[in-house]
Amino acid sequence: MNQEELNSRLSEIEEKLIAVEQPADNRIFLSCEAENAYSLNKFLFEDVPLRFVIATGIDSDDCFEVLYHYSYDETSCMVTLKAIIRDREKPAIESIAPFLPGAEWIEREIHDLLGIEFENHPDMRRLILADDWPEGVYPLRKEANGIKVKGWTGDTSSRPSVESSAHRTVRLAKPVLAVGPFHPLQEEMEFFQLTVDGEIVTDIDMRISYNHRGIEKISETLQFDQVPFLVSRVCGICSASHPLAYVQALEQLAGVKPPERALYVRTIINELERIHSHMLWFGLAGHFIGYDTVFMWAWRYREPVLDLLEEISGNRNQYGNVKVGGCREDVPDELKPKILQEIDGIERKMDMLIKAVVDDPVLHARLKGVGVLSKEAAIKYAVTGPTARASGVAIDVRRDDPYAAYGDLDWSVISRPEGDVFAKVVVRLLEVIESIKIIRQAVRKLPDGPVTTEVKEIPPGEAVGHAEAPRGETFHYVRSDGGNRPIRHKVRAPSYVNVPSFKASCIGGHIADVTITLAAVDPCYSCTERLAVVDSHNKVIHDYEALLRMSRERTSQIKKGIGEQGLNLEDL
Amino acid sequence: MSWKIWSLRKSPWVFHVNTGACNNCDIEIVNLLTPKFDVERFGIKLVGSPRHADALLVTGVVTAQAAPRLREIYRQTPKPCVVFCIGACACDTGIFKDGYHVVGPVDKIIREVDPDAIIAYVPGCPPKPEAMISGVVKALSAL
Repeated sequence: MNQEELNSRLSEIEEKLIAVEQPADNRIFLSCEAENAYSLNKFLFEDVPLRFVIATGIDSDDCFEVLYHYSYDETSCMVTLKAIIRDREKPAIESIAPFLPGAEWIEREIHDLLGIEFENHPDMRRLILADDWPEGVYPLRKEANGIKVKGWTGDTSSRPSVESSAHRTVRLAKPVLAVGPFHPLQEEMEFFQLTVDGEIVTDIDMRISYNHRGIEKISETLQFDQVPFLVSRVCGICSASHPLAYVQALEQLAGVKPPERALYVRTIINELERIHSHMLWFGLAGHFIGYDTVFMWAWRYREPVLDLLEEISGNRNQYGNVKVGGCREDVPDELKPKILQEIDGIERKMDMLIKAVVDDPVLHARLKGVGVLSKEAAIKYAVTGPTARASGVAIDVRRDDPYAAYGDLDWSVISRPEGDVFAKVVVRLLEVIESIKIIRQAVRKLPDGPVTTEVKEIPPGEAVGHAEAPRGETFHYVRSDGGNRPIRHKVRAPSYVNVPSFKASCIGGHIADVTITLAAVDPCYSCTERLAVVDSHNKVIHDYEALLRMSRERTSQIKKGIGEQGLNLEDL
Repeated sequence: MSWKIWSLRKSPWVFHVNTGACNNCDIEIVNLLTPKFDVERFGIKLVGSPRHADALLVTGVVTAQAAPRLREIYRQTPKPCVVFCIGACACDTGIFKDGYHVVGPVDKIIREVDPDAIIAYVPGCPPKPEAMISGVVKALSAL
């Protein structure tokens, strides 16, 4: 289906719309009344079909708006459906989560932050705000100005409800596995509650909010040029892709085209980021299944990448390099030979790692068929990035909607049909090789010239921008009223849609596989936080280390089994 | 010097607490364990439980949801326990200062539990691993 066919499909729903805007060829904004939103969403998601990206709730002065963002990847067209809720007293709209589970979280979030009621939502519990946040205080509403909400004492001494709900489940004699919110090794807080039947996981529940810093609201208080520094701190590992997605939205709004050289510099930094992020993940994945050597190797070989980034941008992780209209720092020409030499070294090490993974029968036996996310589930949960590509959904913003210099370079999108953990490992390993190819070409072709153009002002309007982060598509929506600050800025990080897909990939799996299945989507926290298995029948409590041990024992059992039966690689 | 402080200064075991960071300080902390920096050669070890910890490495702004957990973790540590605020957010909430869900910084929350807590600051966004090692050494030699 090309763009014209898409337009003609969209014209089928014209009588239900109140406005259609097309600021660019591949950006379409449709508006409708709230009553029609459900049927229109169903049409866009199921009949066209488009890929659901995210929804945005906005407090406009006289009404509320819920924006549903869709993407049509074949023509890189972003379609936004704007549902207008005119009742300010009791804002309500019908939930789309019953047919689109990928929208479940965002509807809960909009309910938390703006107080919009979603009718028929399957699970309207609190998602993003703290357990003791007062009811009826909605931080993204305009009247909640001055950010720190009044009337809220900040008293957080009560016991958290997540843990108490885990305790309640125990009293009900239902074995649960509580994961989080803190874990010994790594990264962020998260709380998972797995219901288990013996060794098999029968249900999974999640609680986020521990890391909610209110970035979207803070962004409304910063000037357009300051926001990239804020959004690069959405996630320290995706600190090149978030600002890039944001400035691309603004560049589209302002009609600015950054100079050629800036596009190449952006490409180089983004691909270096992808390499270091993927290597970080191999290391952790190796650790979870008992291959600590891989952990040490992968993190050691990641260091030269961080050193390169430090030489280019001045910092190992937060680059702060991208700005509206170009880049802040150039890649100096004298650095080109060094970059080429270093990535040659990384490529050799990666070849070694790839051979070690592909030739290891234990890894085949341990990871194949584990944590399978089917293609249908991948579409329903609207997952992106390597998680989608390992399930046969070959989407990649770099190819579908070429930005920076990706359109000029020769590389390919890696995808696998299986959807299991092994496929995700392979996709990431091979993507590093593609990234190395991209950097090599970008460094060789780096054009001369400036890296920045002047941007006078951001006109009123709205725009969306997206970029491929290591974990998937980052999406930014920016609305401007012609002033010097965004009046609404929506950020969707890839893990936000990848994480809920655990519901599809973990249920029915083995407890010993949970750590690696959760880690396989490379969530922004590693999920093997402090684990505690509570089995009410014999009152045995396992902790994180016991779970890690179970995962590793399973690996060594497989190892032993392979040794005893004399299996060889061809059999697997 | 009390024997407790004397024993704390050699081979401190640390527990890592993320209270709403962007992950950057956290991956730099994990980096400390890997071959390039390898702090285990100084006897510094990441442990899985606050009850085993001589020091807490706290990153992040302390969100409303994380604050009670940070207090609880600090209560669980054996005293004396050195609290390291790693990164700009942990030191003074950094760029997220005005966030509606932010109740930090870390020292404010820890002082609510223990006004005499030993708190050390390693600024940076993120601090380099070398800076963290240097911060730990400086803090321990000042005890």
